[in-house]
Amino acid sequence: MNLKSAHLMLLMVGLILGILLAFQFRFTREIQHTESVQRVTELSEQVNQMKEDRKSLQAEIDTLRNNLDRAASVPLTDELKEELAKAKVLAGVSELTGPGVEVTLNDSTITIRPGENPNLYVLHDEDLLRVLNEIKAAGAEAISINGQRLLATTEVRCTGPTIVLNKNYRLAPPYVISAIGNPDTLEKSLKMKGGVAETLQFWGIQVSVKKLNQVKIPAYSPGIKYEYSLVAG
Amino acid sequence: MHKSIYVSIILVAVSLGLMMAFQYRTSSSVEQGVPYGREQELTVEKLQLEKDLAHLREESSDLSAKLEEVGKGHSAAVDAFESELSKIKHYAGLVPVVGPGVEVILENLPDEKQDSYPERNSIKDDDLLRVINELRGAGAEAMAINNQRILATSEIRLAGKHIVVNMVNISAPYQIIAIGNATTLKSSLEIKGGLAEYLNDRGIVINVNIKEEILVPAYTGGLRFDYATTT
Repeated sequence: MNLKSAHLMLLMVGLILGILLAFQFRFTREIQHTESVQRVTELSEQVNQMKEDRKSLQAEIDTLRNNLDRAASVPLTDELKEELAKAKVLAGVSELTGPGVEVTLNDSTITIRPGENPNLYVLHDEDLLRVLNEIKAAGAEAISINGQRLLATTEVRCTGPTIVLNKNYRLAPPYVISAIGNPDTLEKSLKMKGGVAETLQFWGIQVSVKKLNQVKIPAYSPGIKYEYSLVAG
Repeated sequence: MHKSIYVSIILVAVSLGLMMAFQYRTSSSVEQGVPYGREQELTVEKLQLEKDLAHLREESSDLSAKLEEVGKGHSAAVDAFESELSKIKHYAGLVPVVGPGVEVILENLPDEKQDSYPERNSIKDDDLLRVINELRGAGAEAMAINNQRILATSEIRLAGKHIVVNMVNISAPYQIIAIGNATTLKSSLEIKGGLAEYLNDRGIVINVNIKEEILVPAYTGGLRFDYATTT
């Protein structure tokens, strides 16, 4: 036999062997992969179920709180009732309505030229923070974003294209901020010259402010639980 | 002599084949990488939901117990109401609270050390907002800046030379106190590439001190809600 053809044969055999080995490895990995897909489906089912549970528990708590209000309202002084009503507005445990504004924010419509940083044209957590801060300074009494009530402890964090609020509520644009307060003051605070709306519009971010006679702000929905702080004195 | 050549050719060919197949594998696994991220995300969401549900169950049983108390007579009703009121006030930030946490001190560099851009170096409302936001994200339960309690409606806004919080002027140095898991709070700011590093680069002195016990004062300003009504 020719030495050269023997070499070639060996080369071919070796190649095929290597490919076979790697594929074998790949297939076993793939089996694990489908398992993980199954796990994900299972997980997402559980998560959805738990979200349902949460919703029904929230409804239950709302009714309980209302019942308690009604039951306890008889023997109390007006002063105490007033105190509770105010505390409830701040604590975010009740649904509120009132005049106010609806601010809609959306990512830029500007087509980015090659070489430009696309990050400059999307909404960031800081933009939302700034808008919220402006609204608060203009005397907003209650605020929600996409139906999530804002509390003293509510963070606004950018995670990729979405924003996370209240630890595990993921919101996607457009962001609709609803606020109860004096509609004119609220609108002016955002739209004033050199204000937040103007700065954001420079980057092509869409900002629209709508004055409304009736804004509905939902109650904070997840349970509040303080693990570290105790009432002092 | 010949034998060793064969062996080496086989070895080279096997490794070449392996490499080719792996190349194919990595390029095709790029799309398949997504479920891993999803799984992690879902797991995190599930854990958080478990916590939420536990809190809600606790709240619900607490409210049921109070409702039962109310039925028992006048004084029991007042007690139940007062305990509910104190809980709500705790949520709202209307009572002083104590607990473990951190104290964050933010200071401008002394004038002589600043470079030619004092404007760039001084602490702005945005900086304080971001520190507060970072602490919130790390699970802070109660916070105050220079003794102004942070409420759901608190603004932090530059007005002239001062920063206004709860319509009260405050100025540097800024002391932010937060109750929560002290190590989590501290590391959320001091994480590499985090906020503390950014502020340091800007020439702002930031110190985060862990406190075993810290008192966050209650909001003492006036409360008026002219527009919001409970439905």
